[in-house]
Amino acid sequence: MTPFEIGLIALAAMGVLVLFGLWVPIALMACSFGGVWAIKGSPELAGKLLALSANDTLQSYYFGVVPLFVLMGFVVSESGMGRDAYDVANTLFRRLRGGLGVGTVGANAIFAAITGISIASAAVFTRIAVPQMLRHGYTARFAVGVVAGSSVLGMLIPPSLLLILYGVITEQSIGHLFLAGIGPGLLLACVFGIGVVLGAIFLPGHVQPNREAGDEIPGLTARQMLVKGLPIAILIVYVLGGIYGGWFTPVEAGAMGAIGALVIGFAKRSLTLAGLWRVLVETGLVTAAVCFLIIAAQMYARMLAFSGIPAGFGELAAHADLGLMGLMLLYILIVVALGMILDSSSIMLILVPIMLPVLAPMNVDLIWFGIVTVIAIEIGLLTPPFGLSVYVIKSTLDDPTITLGDIFAGAAPFALMMLMVLGLVLAFPVIATGLL
Amino acid sequence: MTAAGKLLDVVTQGLNIAGSILIVGLMVMIGADVAGRGLLGAPLPGVPEMVSLSIVAIVFLQIPAAMRAGRLTRSDAVLDRITARWPGVARWLETVFDLIAIFIIWMIVSSTWPLFERSWRRGDFVGAIGDFTAPTWPVKGIIMVGCSVLILQFVVRILRRFLAPAEAQA
Repeated sequence: MTPFEIGLIALAAMGVLVLFGLWVPIALMACSFGGVWAIKGSPELAGKLLALSANDTLQSYYFGVVPLFVLMGFVVSESGMGRDAYDVANTLFRRLRGGLGVGTVGANAIFAAITGISIASAAVFTRIAVPQMLRHGYTARFAVGVVAGSSVLGMLIPPSLLLILYGVITEQSIGHLFLAGIGPGLLLACVFGIGVVLGAIFLPGHVQPNREAGDEIPGLTARQMLVKGLPIAILIVYVLGGIYGGWFTPVEAGAMGAIGALVIGFAKRSLTLAGLWRVLVETGLVTAAVCFLIIAAQMYARMLAFSGIPAGFGELAAHADLGLMGLMLLYILIVVALGMILDSSSIMLILVPIMLPVLAPMNVDLIWFGIVTVIAIEIGLLTPPFGLSVYVIKSTLDDPTITLGDIFAGAAPFALMMLMVLGLVLAFPVIATGLL
Repeated sequence: MTAAGKLLDVVTQGLNIAGSILIVGLMVMIGADVAGRGLLGAPLPGVPEMVSLSIVAIVFLQIPAAMRAGRLTRSDAVLDRITARWPGVARWLETVFDLIAIFIIWMIVSSTWPLFERSWRRGDFVGAIGDFTAPTWPVKGIIMVGCSVLILQFVVRILRRFLAPAEAQA
């Protein structure tokens, strides 16, 4: 058998094992181990590669900050800034039809600027926004759908853990990736907002059937707006200003943001020591899961390199004469399909190393490609049968009357709107690269 | 068996706590580095080296706890369906998965041992002499400890499944 065939078999075996429920990092490691063994004929070499991946992959400053970005997201949610962002956004949008829905989108956009992970947003706004929308006569489907849809903003609007991960794999500037995420992120937030208002006006039965006149929520007073809005504004200016003002690098922003969020949380007296400890332990678990996956993906990338699969795919793509757009469409299709069974970091770590050599001869702007990848991955997280955001919402919700099916149905319009924005970014790369 | 399982969970939690404390250390280190650079014009020596060693330690200290808490990434939709329809098949499938995991993690431990031994013998370090140095063997040791506890967690999963089905349900 040629290395190429062995590589393909290893890929197929991995797919089957993952589908049947083997832990993704274990599946990646086991199939890569088997693949290298079969290609090189040496189990010792395969074992050595495994040990090198475990010892060396993470040993870099870039990965060192992963837990700090996670910590920052959790501290911000624990100290109640999600609730504050929601109150502020609702005051701004309360006179609109579907105001609470637009408020959820707005609050997510604000929240995204102070966190780097989207599971934090999904969990926070399920607890805050869904009950409030239900009380005001919105349908359960719409309420959970808008939370699921707008939680993806967290990964696009900087800081974003997924963009850091992409930057590390592809050796692109993380600062540039962050800048490139702003345009598509804001565009997506606007499209979501407009979609919610149009839905509330033209399809009230699906959005807010039990709307009562004068049912707007009471707005905050100017003073309350200041008290709730100022800490968030300070944190945003501090993190983004610090990065682009040259005080700290995007990599250091996780640590500085976590420190800032801690100071604000303690100053507001909304963060307790017990809460901080809970959040720390949670941070550790998330970090370990993500980083273990990165180690496994490193092993897998080495196996791929031995098998020559990326180069083989590159040749196939060149001969198939798809052109860049054809190739991108095919890629997006695969990403969205994978998003149905895997989480964001797994998809990125599995697919991007295969794609890089394929794209190399085409002069593709890798910053733009990163943004396209992130949007496509996040669409997959909203689509059945296994959307991760949707599962987070379901487990946070703890309400048996709202089924997984309801959440998927509610999220579907948002997935469509994301597809639209993805099309726009594909057609007009300037949306992403304009700020560079 | 129950006592051994409990002891293992205590050890797992101990590693978890050590890892969480290390995360705070990481935050303080980077904060001090940025502050030193911005305010005093003098970055803290050795921060990049310490950060890159710490993250490896953090991950391997936490991985047994993450696995115990069911946080290792897996897609369980198909498995859940099999469990609902053929619980016996699902138990064997889970056991095969545990065995694969034990094998592959054991490969990491056994091939990290020579790296640990060499690093210990030669006194390998990161950093630059005269400025800041840190030995590399402690992190390699932590990798082996974390992976060993992880292996034991997988073993206990199998034992719980077959020796005490009632306990597994609880």
